[in-house]
Amino acid sequence: MLELKEVMDNKILADKRFGNTGLSLISVKSEEEIADVLRSANEKGKTVSIVSGGTKRGYGGLKEEYDVVLSLAEYRGIVEHTVGDMTVTVRPGTTIAELQNFLRKHDQMVSLDPSWPEQATIGGVIAANESGPKRLKYGSARDLVIGLRVVYPDGSVIRTGGKVVKNVAGYDMNKLFIGAMGTLGAISEITLKLRPVPKDESLVLLSVKEEHVDELKTFAIKVQDSMVEPVTLELVNPTLSKQLWDREAYTLLMGFEDVPNAVQYQEEWVRAQKPKEAVMDVLPANEAMDFWNRFANIAPNSLTDNSENGEVKANLKIGSKNMQVMDVLKEADRFQRQYGVTLAAHGGLGHGLTNAYLTGSEDQIKAVVRELRDFVESKQGYAVLKHLPFYLREELNVWGKGQSYHFLFEGIKRKVDPNNSLNHQRFVGGI
Amino acid sequence: MLFAKKKKKIDGDKHYVSLANIVGETAILYKKEDLVSYDCDGFTIHKSMPKAVVFPKSTEEVAAAVKYCAENKIPFLARGAGTGLSGGAIPLNGEVIISLAKMKQLLSVDFENRQAVVQPGFVNLKLTNSIANKGYYYAPDPSSQYVCTIGGNVAENAGGAHCLKYGVTTNHILGLEVVLSNGEIIEISENGIPDAPGYDLLGLLTGSEGTLGIVTKITVRILKNPEGKQTVLAYFDKAEDGSHAVSDIISAGIVPAALEMMDKTAIEGVEAGTYPVGHPRDIEALLLIEVDGVAAGIDEQIEEILKVCKQRNVREVKVAESEEERGKWWANRKTGFGAMGAISPDYLVQDGVIPRSRLPKVLQNISEISKESGLRIANIFHAGDGNLHPLILFDSRIPGETEKAVKAGTACLKACADVGGSITGEHGVGIEKIEEMRFIFTDEELEAQTKIREVFNPENLLNKGKLFPTPSRCMDVKKVIKEAAAN
Ligand SMILES: Cc1cc2nc3c(=O)[nH]c(=O)nc-3n(C[C@H](O)[C@H](O)[C@H](O)COP(=O)(O)OP(=O)(O)OC[C@H]3O[C@@H](n4cnc5c(N)ncnc54)[C@H](O)[C@@H]3O)c2cc1C
Repeated sequence: MLELKEVMDNKILADKRFGNTGLSLISVKSEEEIADVLRSANEKGKTVSIVSGGTKRGYGGLKEEYDVVLSLAEYRGIVEHTVGDMTVTVRPGTTIAELQNFLRKHDQMVSLDPSWPEQATIGGVIAANESGPKRLKYGSARDLVIGLRVVYPDGSVIRTGGKVVKNVAGYDMNKLFIGAMGTLGAISEITLKLRPVPKDESLVLLSVKEEHVDELKTFAIKVQDSMVEPVTLELVNPTLSKQLWDREAYTLLMGFEDVPNAVQYQEEWVRAQKPKEAVMDVLPANEAMDFWNRFANIAPNSLTDNSENGEVKANLKIGSKNMQVMDVLKEADRFQRQYGVTLAAHGGLGHGLTNAYLTGSEDQIKAVVRELRDFVESKQGYAVLKHLPFYLREELNVWGKGQSYHFLFEGIKRKVDPNNSLNHQRFVGGI
Repeated sequence: MLFAKKKKKIDGDKHYVSLANIVGETAILYKKEDLVSYDCDGFTIHKSMPKAVVFPKSTEEVAAAVKYCAENKIPFLARGAGTGLSGGAIPLNGEVIISLAKMKQLLSVDFENRQAVVQPGFVNLKLTNSIANKGYYYAPDPSSQYVCTIGGNVAENAGGAHCLKYGVTTNHILGLEVVLSNGEIIEISENGIPDAPGYDLLGLLTGSEGTLGIVTKITVRILKNPEGKQTVLAYFDKAEDGSHAVSDIISAGIVPAALEMMDKTAIEGVEAGTYPVGHPRDIEALLLIEVDGVAAGIDEQIEEILKVCKQRNVREVKVAESEEERGKWWANRKTGFGAMGAISPDYLVQDGVIPRSRLPKVLQNISEISKESGLRIANIFHAGDGNLHPLILFDSRIPGETEKAVKAGTACLKACADVGGSITGEHGVGIEKIEEMRFIFTDEELEAQTKIREVFNPENLLNKGKLFPTPSRCMDVKKVIKEAAAN
């Protein structure tokens, strides 16, 4: 047994508002240490919660406290970057910003744009399957992860996938751990495929008054039917547009990333084709990057949420058919008015995911979450609470109504973690 | 009496009658002479007879047939077009083959949300053909796309020449309807909505080679045709220069839609085949490179590619001048495997993957393997993503040569594994590469995978004997020790 320092006074342990905390915390610096902690907990029948950057403690979880919190935040750094192969292997505690800054020196990037790049770590982003507006063009974690090392609850280490960009040997086990919220193992190493940093980029913003919002939908359909290839087609509601851009209007964010000629050509196309009611702004590369940085920090998280006096913050992630995003945003705004909450929201017209950030009283939040969820579930969509204080999570059911094939999830969990020692109850249906 | 009549027609085993009752008596084959064409798939080295073949017309019929097999402990497996190259559809245990050939409808297309729903027996290329009039296509393009089924593509996680930029099958699957091994039907993300809460079963099932369930309906992503497309053909005197050019193109920040390579022996084959284009015979390598996207951005990338090729001593490099010329180049490439038949009585296709930068070294190793085995090896492959297809040329009529070819194939895969690569990039493990799984996975890692199979296929009646080597003795011993410790 390695000598691992177990601490009892730590800000993660002290802050109980979001649950997923523990009696003690062990911060590890190697894979062997991870294995040691998990093995010994498993043998002693103890429960473990995994944390890294600490941004997602408000995301799922019906336990306020586990026996041990395993922190991967100090297990960080680049293991291997093969420039010519455009792959990188990285430890889980590395922040997104650190990883991107490193790769940028080689004109390469991980084509993921999740929230809070300065705090969120690659391990957490993969485990929670986080993505941003650019997934329209670049896909999400499941399209980028080519290999993992995972420490199983019994302390054994499993490699999944490999270091090559194309691979069908055996089951695609990578997929099991992406978005599994740490319920199947601790991800100890991640290999990703990279893309070249685009030679140029820009961001086109098209803003319309509420009464013209449907014209943005018609326009988005036209875009999809055309030759332009935006990296984002993200629609922002007036509340969020005001926060980001000081313009209270529905705003469509169309990013272009390509060689300069192609970027310019596409901007011109939009100028010629846009709805006449829309006000168009174009942000050149530097300003576009600044904008996206601001955008990546709008969601509430467990590090920054300082709500008090009965105020509650929540983040609802909604999945719908692509073009239904428009209806979801409209309904959200209707509930915003009806219940008097503050609701900032954005959704991808090409990828079907909407995020709504709510601030209000407990009762207001409950009402709006229920209304929005009913609406999307009636359209066969789903609504998941990505951020919510612990005391409301059970009542509001973080993961929604669940799947008819939930027994398969249970079967998988039972095979991998029969003692429920890892992140128990953090995931769908109390897995 | 109708029933008695039916009974008379189907003679033999009682299971034939029961299965005929499920799918209809014209939708079952059970006589030996009818079954012989189902004794193998595209991997022709191993042959083994099924018990019967049934052709269900609906998900419910698939489910009923599966349920019947499960209840009667009869092994069974799914089959699409039977073009698989690793033996995934070969019945090793006298299986009832559930052919999806009659479930071949395009069920719906939703352009607004960019998705289409197909039955599993729908042929890959037909999807693109059905939506081309609106300027859309389905991206994964295996060379066998004019016959292989989308169900088979899902099972194998098929790739193709254009997967370098657009991704393989798994990146385009949005929803699946699956009949589980006990006959239960489940729908995963039936509306194609991404990130359904729960473990990513879509990702897990795709590429599971028909061992976790039978896919009966598929929702796929469809894409808009790119505005511009240009194709470059480059001839290199030295293979090494060609390999370096591949890396340089990628390093220049270009993401080509396709980046394919052929070596001298392969060129000899394709030039003797049905679609010759007049490639010079004395070069060591050719590259076929395609760039697509917004038209305004293409010229500049093509210039960059031409520059790279020149820096790497290209003998001749040209840009396709017409769609017709481009089409010819691609027909020549896409029929490459079959063309080997023109220069060799038999050939075995391998499917290793390597980190792109190791290309020169591994090609060198393969040429040594060829020398040692005395068999010629042609290389036609997806160079951009490091997916090699060594084609081992042999003559099965010469005693011992088939075994030699198999051995050379294994050696090629070992060479890939040794540089940190994989034993298969798109053709799957099937029965062919079972033992080679040990080149890249430990016993523990293999066990982690078989444990997942137990969740979906606990009786192991569905496509038994595929993918995984039987546990080594050492593993059994470990298991016993573990169990003893637990008790
Ligand atoms: C000339 C030639 C060129 C090829 N080129 C390529 C290429 O470029 N890229 C590539 O990836 N592959 C290629 N292949 C291999 C093959 O075409 C693919 O693997 C294809 O996906 C197999 O589809 P199929 O319909 O023929 O499946 P089959 O061969 O019938 O079956 C393959 C496997 O899938 C399972 N299966 C089939 N249908 C289902 C279902 N509905 N549900 C569950 N399991 C199912 C079977 O049990 C079997 O294990 C090529 C093959 C040939 C002969």
